[in-house]
Amino acid sequence: MFTERRKDLLKQGAIWGFIVLELAFFSIAGNYLSVTDTAFMDFDNMLLLLKQSAPIGIIALGMTIIMINGNIDLSVGATFALAAIVMLDSMTWPFMQALGDWAIPLAWGFALLTGVVLGAINGLIVWKTGVDAFIVTLGSMLGFRGLVFMYNGEQPTSHLNWTLVDFAEAQFLGLHTASWFLLAVALILWLVMTRTVHGRNAYAIGNNRDAAVNAGIRVGPHFLLNFMLIGFLAALSAVVFYSESGSVNPNDGMLYELWAITAVVLGGTKLAGGYGSIVSTLGGVIAIQLLRKGLGHIGADTETVNLVIGLILIAVLFLDRQLNRKGKEELKT
Amino acid sequence: MNKTLKAALACSTAMIGTSALAQDDTYTIGITQNNVGVDSYQTTYEQAFIAAAEANDNVEVVVLDAGGDVARQIAQMEDLIQQEVDAIIIWPTNGEAVIPAVRKADQAGIPVVVTNSNIAEAGFDFVASFSGPDNITQGSRSAEIMCDRFKELGIADEARVVEITGQPGYTTAIERSDGFQDRLPEVCPNVELVESQPGDWNREKSQQVMEAFLVKYDDIDGVYAGDDNMGVGALNAAKAAGRDGITFVGATNFAVGYEAMGEGDYWGSIYQSPVDDAEAALRTAIDVLDGEDVPFLNYFDTPKITQDNMDEFDKPVF
Repeated sequence: MFTERRKDLLKQGAIWGFIVLELAFFSIAGNYLSVTDTAFMDFDNMLLLLKQSAPIGIIALGMTIIMINGNIDLSVGATFALAAIVMLDSMTWPFMQALGDWAIPLAWGFALLTGVVLGAINGLIVWKTGVDAFIVTLGSMLGFRGLVFMYNGEQPTSHLNWTLVDFAEAQFLGLHTASWFLLAVALILWLVMTRTVHGRNAYAIGNNRDAAVNAGIRVGPHFLLNFMLIGFLAALSAVVFYSESGSVNPNDGMLYELWAITAVVLGGTKLAGGYGSIVSTLGGVIAIQLLRKGLGHIGADTETVNLVIGLILIAVLFLDRQLNRKGKEELKT
Repeated sequence: MNKTLKAALACSTAMIGTSALAQDDTYTIGITQNNVGVDSYQTTYEQAFIAAAEANDNVEVVVLDAGGDVARQIAQMEDLIQQEVDAIIIWPTNGEAVIPAVRKADQAGIPVVVTNSNIAEAGFDFVASFSGPDNITQGSRSAEIMCDRFKELGIADEARVVEITGQPGYTTAIERSDGFQDRLPEVCPNVELVESQPGDWNREKSQQVMEAFLVKYDDIDGVYAGDDNMGVGALNAAKAAGRDGITFVGATNFAVGYEAMGEGDYWGSIYQSPVDDAEAALRTAIDVLDGEDVPFLNYFDTPKITQDNMDEFDKPVF
C-alpha cells in the first residue's frame, strides 16, 4: 500500500517537476538568448501562461474523465468550432439584437447547449451501438466539422462586441477571466472525480468494465453523461475564447483533440483507462503552453515545440510502462 | 523565493536602464506570422524577413509563427506585449479575431503594423500602418495588360471578356475585381465584360466555371482571373474545348501561371514578391518607430509581368 502511494506521488509529481525544469531552463536560457529585457519568470507572464492554457486546458480536463473511462473523444475540436459559430452568429439574429447586451448570456447558453447536444449524440451512439468511442468520435469529428463548413462555407463567422471583449479581457484579483474558468472547471472536476460516486464509477469502469457491470454500475448512461460533459466543456472553452476574439475560422479547433489528449497523457492518465488525475492534466496543459511560450521567448523556431513535445510524450509513456510493469507481473503470479 | 524574484527584478530593471543608454538606437520588433510552411510564399517571406533584419544592425527581431491557429496568434501577441517589444508586425490568421489583441498592443503603447492582408475596418484605429500589396492596383494593372494585348491583336474595339473572381466576401477578391472593372472601360472603352463568376481561388472550380462560359458564349477573347491558379484552371478548360486565341490574364503571378506563360498559353499577370512583402513590412515598422510620416495604407510595388518581359523575373516560389 505504501509503495503504491509513493508510486502515485512520483507519477503525479513528475509533471510538476517537469514544469519546474522548464521554468528554470527558460529563465536561464532567456538571459542569454532572449532579445527582450523582461524576465521569463515575470509574475505577469505567469498569469498570461494560465490564461493562454485555458482554451485547450478546459477541454483537456474533460478529456481526462473520458480517458479514465477508457474512452476517447476526437470530436472536441469540431464541437469547439461549432459552439463558437452558434455563439457569434446567434448574436446577429434580429430578436437577439433587440435584446442589447442581454443577448450575451443567451448566446452563451445557445453555445453551451450546442456542445451538450453534440456530446449527447456521441454518448448515445457509444451507449446504444457499443461501437468503440474512438470510431464513433472519429466519425462525428468529420461530421461536426462538415456542419461547421455548411454553416458559413469557407468564410469566417464574426461578431465583434466590445462589451464581450471587455468582459473576457477583465482581470479579477489579477487573474484573467479565462483563467478563472480554467481553475473553476479544474476544481469542480477534481471534486467530482475524488468525492462523488460518479467519479469512483469512472475509475471502476475504466479499470474493469465487466466487473463494473457486475457491480451494478450502469455503464451506458455513465458514458452518456461524460460525453455530454465534455461536449459542454468544449463549448465552454469556445465561449471563453471567442468572447475575446469575436471571429471564428471554419477550421478553428482543428488538432485541439490531439493537443488535449497530449496534455492528458503528459499528466500521466493511462490511455487504457482506470487511472488518471485532473490536477496532473492541469499540469500537462501548463507544461505544453510553457514550452510554446518559452521557445518563443528564447527565439527558437516555434515549430520546434512539436518535436520537443513529441519526444517528451514518448519518454512519459516509456516511464509509465516501466513503473507499471512490476505491478502487473505481481498480479499474474 | 519571493525575495530572490524581487531581487532579480530589481537587477533586471537596473540593467534595462543601462542597456537602454548603451544601445538607444536598437529596436526590438516582434512578428507573428499566419502559417509558415503551409505554402512557399509564407516560407520565403519568413526567410526574407529574417535576412532583412540581420542586415540591419539597429534591429532585433522576435520571429513567431501562429501555425494558422488564432488562439496561438493571440497568445503570441500577448507575449510580445509582455516582452515590451518596440513594435509588432502581424500577419493576421483571421482579420477580425485579432482585433482585440491588436487593441491591447495599442493600449500598451506598442505600434502595430499589419502585413500582407489587412485586418477588418473595426480595428483600423489601433493600427499604425498596413504594409502589403494593393489589390486595386493589381486589378487595374491587369486591365491594362489585357487592353494592351487587345490593341496589339487589333481587337480592342470588339473584344469580349469574362472574369473569374476569388472567394466572395474576401476583401482581396472584391478589390482585385473592382480594380479591373473600373480600369478596363477607361483604357479600352469598347471592350465588353460579359460575365463575372466566382472561382473561389480554386483551380478545379474555375475550370468548371470556364467550361460553362465556353458553352454559353461562342466568342470569348479574354479571361481575367483573380489569381493565376484560377487563370490556369480556365486555360485548361479552353484547351480541352479546343478554343484558341483567348488572352488569359491573372491578378497575381503563381508558378503555374509563369510556366504557362513560358509555354505561350497564358499572357500575363502581376508579379508579387514575398521578399518585397517582407522587406516592406520591416521597413514600415522601422519608419513608424523613427517617427516618420508613414501612410496608413503603405503599399509595395507589384509590377506587370507578361510573355514579353517574363525573363526579367524569377519564377515565383508559390
